[in-house]
Amino acid sequence: MRDDFDEVTDERLGPVIAELRRPVRLDPTLDQRVLSVLRGAEPRSGARRGPAAWAGGLMGAALAAGLLFTVLGREPGAPTRPIELRLSAPASQVMVVGDFNDWDPAATPLRPGNEGGTWTVELRLPPGRYRYTFLVDGRRWVPDPAEPRAADDDFGAPTSVLTVS
Amino acid sequence: MSESDAALVARTLDGDLGAFATLMSRYRDALGRYAFHMLGSREDAEEAVQDSFLRAHRALRDCRQPERFGAWLFTILVNRCRTSQRRLFHRRRFSEELRDDVAATADTSSSIEWREEIARALAGLRPHYREAFLLRYVEGLDYAEMARLTGAREPALRMRVKRAADQLRELLRDVHAG
Repeated sequence: MRDDFDEVTDERLGPVIAELRRPVRLDPTLDQRVLSVLRGAEPRSGARRGPAAWAGGLMGAALAAGLLFTVLGREPGAPTRPIELRLSAPASQVMVVGDFNDWDPAATPLRPGNEGGTWTVELRLPPGRYRYTFLVDGRRWVPDPAEPRAADDDFGAPTSVLTVS
Repeated sequence: MSESDAALVARTLDGDLGAFATLMSRYRDALGRYAFHMLGSREDAEEAVQDSFLRAHRALRDCRQPERFGAWLFTILVNRCRTSQRRLFHRRRFSEELRDDVAATADTSSSIEWREEIARALAGLRPHYREAFLLRYVEGLDYAEMARLTGAREPALRMRVKRAADQLRELLRDVHAG
């Protein structure tokens, strides 16, 4: 597939691309560190998520909240408010990604409702401004039609903005 | 013949961490390369890759197409890098990290200066230009897959890749391969 330029014959960018394709060495113990965390999180009974996993998740959430407070002025310890997000879409899976879950596409699924095609999730968020979007069936990015579009999305994905007061 | 991703995902869901270790070893280099060039720091790249593996394991039951585990994992990493990018307002550490990286390899086929110039040029791109360029020409994704990963439309992605290429040519105009 050749698109905007021919990388083979492009004298300047060809060598750059070749250089960028070279392997980058990461810490060889990285996999072991991940496995150590997972071993600590997996109870021997085989249940999916043990208390340590939740503790790790809570620590991660606390860290993320601290960083958000630094960047966006949200206070981690502030009282939270229940927020329901809703999307009507024919889909087999809907996730929400945003500032409140570290843009993790695997973190926050919406539940299908009794009405066909309506998906909901309830979040508890401290006051602040949050950018977010829905990820439908793992491939379609859909902004929330109920909230205004964010004007400052850095990467061009359709993004909504929610203000919790 | 190596075991398929789908089989490894199934074994991981049955509690076999060895299967997940195989999945990690299968994808860690590609993930590491993308994260390193996107974030400009090996330390940040390792953190992003490690976090992506943990997130993937935590949410593995939501991976609806286990035969496409790699693409699903890459989506997690791309978003993780975006989050890092949004947070990182401090000055980057490209030169120091690259020196460490080059020093850690036995391969001297390219000079440290050459790699530093490339890193500086990449760092000079707007993040979404850099993202598109790396996904297209370093990771070799087609535009449909890039659109699925990033949420951006294909015409916008083509424009970003073109602008990134134009800017890189300009930024590297007086630099010669080492």
